[in-house]
Amino acid sequence: MAKPEVVVSGLERGEKLVLTEEEALEVITFLVSSAEICLREPIYYGTLRLVDAASRLIGLIQKNTPVATEGFLRGFKEDIDTHKTLAMWDREAYYDFLRKIPFSAAKELKRVRELRGKIGGEV
Amino acid sequence: MIASAEVVDSEALLGMMRKRRVTRQFTSQAVPIEVLQKIVEAGRWATSGGNRYPHRFLVVRDPHRISLVRAASPGMLWEPPALIIIMLDTEQSKADLMDVDPFTASHIDVGTAAMSMLTMVQSLGLGACPVTSFSKSGVSAMLELPSNLTPEFILILGYPLAVTRVINANAPKPVTVRDLTFWEFVGLHDPKHGK
Repeated sequence: MAKPEVVVSGLERGEKLVLTEEEALEVITFLVSSAEICLREPIYYGTLRLVDAASRLIGLIQKNTPVATEGFLRGFKEDIDTHKTLAMWDREAYYDFLRKIPFSAAKELKRVRELRGKIGGEV
Repeated sequence: MIASAEVVDSEALLGMMRKRRVTRQFTSQAVPIEVLQKIVEAGRWATSGGNRYPHRFLVVRDPHRISLVRAASPGMLWEPPALIIIMLDTEQSKADLMDVDPFTASHIDVGTAAMSMLTMVQSLGLGACPVTSFSKSGVSAMLELPSNLTPEFILILGYPLAVTRVINANAPKPVTVRDLTFWEFVGLHDPKHGK
């Protein structure tokens, strides 16, 4: 017996738009402000600005009810917010955290992208 | 000699200072105006080189304006219910022939005001965090500051949110007063060398 075809909607495939223009501009302002202050801050603070940008971006996305990645984003943001301040008092632990987090983000992206082939209703 | 009635118990004060930690996350509880007035008054009574007071304080409580400032302030990791921006009046500084380059007297005035405010914040049972990681041009644009006022320091404050701090057993040990202090000659850490 043939395996039933899984139908996945556009929402489940992560095709929903989750940022307004204003929210996108907020992230852009944060990124260019970070670039400016990187000129006068300890070099490793640049990494803190990047992970914090990810956290802020997730915070804005959460306001717009993401469908495909909601659960992942909630946990991912919590993980970043719990560990990002380690940069101020335990740099080695902070670096270990940085080495760890791309794995789960990459895994989630792969999962969502693999849903692309499973065609269903549009958003 | 300062009258004894004006002297604060030094052990109590030092004990309070030892307990001070920066607070980066706050509850949503608003900070009353009377409390903020006490904090800025503490800043007013800080030392100022030449008694010139080249700084101005801008208190912001409007969540919309705070959110705008935060967008240009990477050092503001979470959104506070209130903030105080210490600005330098560059026109006044120039008129007084004061150097407004970083690390000069006017910036030290910013620091003394900030520390006085931090101490007052703590005594009122609030938490605060100094923020210097922000874009001056970005914050100026957000708050429509006149060109003679430059934002130098942001004190974010509010009622502390209980958070779990991740501390590893092998984290670096905190710096001690001995690490920072020499007696009579650089390199001598023992007070007995002061004799």
